[in-house]
Amino acid sequence: MRRFLIVFVVLLVVSFAIELTPPAQAWLVTPWTDAVASASAALMRVFDATIATSGNVISSSATPFAVSIEAGCNGVEATLVLVAAMLAFAAPWPHRLRGIVVGIVAVQALNVLRVISLFYLGRWNRDVFEWAHLYVWQALIMLDVLIVWVIWVRLVPASPRAASPAGAA
Amino acid sequence: MAMSAQVAEVQPRAQSSVARFALRTLCLLPLAFALWYFAAPLLLWPALQLVRTLAHFAFADIVRTVEQSGALATFVTTLQARGATQTGMITVDVNVLLYSFGLPLFVALTLAARERSWKRHLVLGYAALQPIVAWGVLADFLKNVAITAGPAVASQTGFGGWQREAIAFAFQLGSLILPAVAPAVLWVAMHTRFISALADRGLRPMHP
Repeated sequence: MRRFLIVFVVLLVVSFAIELTPPAQAWLVTPWTDAVASASAALMRVFDATIATSGNVISSSATPFAVSIEAGCNGVEATLVLVAAMLAFAAPWPHRLRGIVVGIVAVQALNVLRVISLFYLGRWNRDVFEWAHLYVWQALIMLDVLIVWVIWVRLVPASPRAASPAGAA
Repeated sequence: MAMSAQVAEVQPRAQSSVARFALRTLCLLPLAFALWYFAAPLLLWPALQLVRTLAHFAFADIVRTVEQSGALATFVTTLQARGATQTGMITVDVNVLLYSFGLPLFVALTLAARERSWKRHLVLGYAALQPIVAWGVLADFLKNVAITAGPAVASQTGFGGWQREAIAFAFQLGSLILPAVAPAVLWVAMHTRFISALADRGLRPMHP
């Protein structure tokens, strides 16, 4: 467990530092954030035709309220946490890769739900929006990451792990 | 045949136990959030004591005192804002709740695990999360005076280029990663047996 925690923390700090560099921001984070905004808006348009997007901003022609998806709300950090946890845990590479793909989908699906819910909460009540945005959804996303990781650990094939007990990362 | 039937039985049971745990955590979260919000002045007092101590020893030249008002930390600085006709002393307010929402998450996870030693886990987790909260609060203050406030104020702090970079990184880490990740990591570290049971696997033999 100690080895898992050390590898996890190192991977997380390194990947987070890389995420903050200008090239990573320009080529990965910004396009990703715009894609999150577009995906959220596409889903919202199913029941709300007034929704429009411009880059990372989601707005509505029916109201002056708009949300801008910023760092911390694009699901990138939650994804980094999940990927670091899966890489740090001893598991066969195919299982890791499958877990990372499915995990990213699970985290981003909840993140899109967060964005959509925050948009409508913000239109309804600014205080509730602040609470949900700053505290509640942050905890829920991390709970999502934790649950996905536990399920993934449960599905790690038993035999390769027994054969290489210390094969973390 | 009997063996595969047994495996098939075990898997849904483990899945449902993960689902039950997630459901218990979701039910406990609102209560934990309410307790955290209303008891914040008391719960966050140790973290602010830590902030005061760190500010006193590491940033005594720019921080006069750190005052607490509810969940708000106010840094009274030695820095000055110079206007055309007047000069004022700079104070920086930091919302401590922004860096402590991991406390209710940790409480909900710990209570949902229903382990015998939950009280010890709560006390240890609470103590371990205080430096994380202090990190966020202090990094927020430093980011404000060294970066956000502009060159006129930043020049008074005496921070060089690499120090401002380090402050920016510490702030990003302290706001985007640590408040959410620290409680989850602490919880995992304290509940290896519970996770093993949830995962239906032995974590301990794997990572001695």
